[in-house]
Amino acid sequence: MVEFTIVRVFDAPREAVWRAWTDPEQLAQWFGPRGVSTPLDKIRMDLRPGGVASLVMVDDASGTEYPNSGTYLEVVPPERLVWKDDGFPDGTGAGTVTVRLRNLGGKTELALHVVADFTDEMRAQAGAGWGSSFDRLGELLARR
Amino acid sequence: MPTDELSRTFAALADPTRRAMLARLARGEATVNELAEPFSISLQAVSKHLKVLEQAGLVTRSRAAQQRPARLRAGPLADAAQWLTFYRGFFEGSLDRLDEHLRKNVLKGRADG
Repeated sequence: MVEFTIVRVFDAPREAVWRAWTDPEQLAQWFGPRGVSTPLDKIRMDLRPGGVASLVMVDDASGTEYPNSGTYLEVVPPERLVWKDDGFPDGTGAGTVTVRLRNLGGKTELALHVVADFTDEMRAQAGAGWGSSFDRLGELLARR
Repeated sequence: MPTDELSRTFAALADPTRRAMLARLARGEATVNELAEPFSISLQAVSKHLKVLEQAGLVTRSRAAQQRPARLRAGPLADAAQWLTFYRGFFEGSLDRLDEHLRKNVLKGRADG
């Protein structure tokens, strides 16, 4: 599977980290890398399994807008948020994102796991080879 | 058959034999016979895998030479790597800002409390 995981420890209680991900007013203050803004008035969050989320990222320098949407798959406060990300309009970046929060006595460990998404058609084509044996593309690339 | 190239790349990579074949081709071009050597599968099976890699644009085969050696084409792999690099960078950058956001808010909360 083409995937990656990022693990970070934040010096904040788990509830605070959960709110940062699930309260639009907070999300607008940090979502997107530096140089990108996520305006509050364009954030929609229907925070329940099957609920739709959407936002628009704006490149500060050029003003270019990058709309993004997804569907929540799991919402378990304050520890687990999973959504299917539709990616960008050109189809790139579609995938499933899992945010898991662990309480470390006042601090919070966040593990963010992203898996590239594939259609049923692609899964069928990949057949039996698709599954747990799918190791990391990065390893293959490293051996090039 | 997936239509966009990145999807074809990922689908072609979804098989351990094909990944091993690519790893072999990363060391230099090889014929079907040479590619089959490490595996306990038929030459036909190797040819079939090679065809999938070829259709995904990961491999090119010489039309001229009788042995038709296969050669790695790095472009689609680079696209897949770019996907990883872009999205990893996106989330790393976001989490840097989340860290700053939490520091500000938690400090503020502690000062208020």
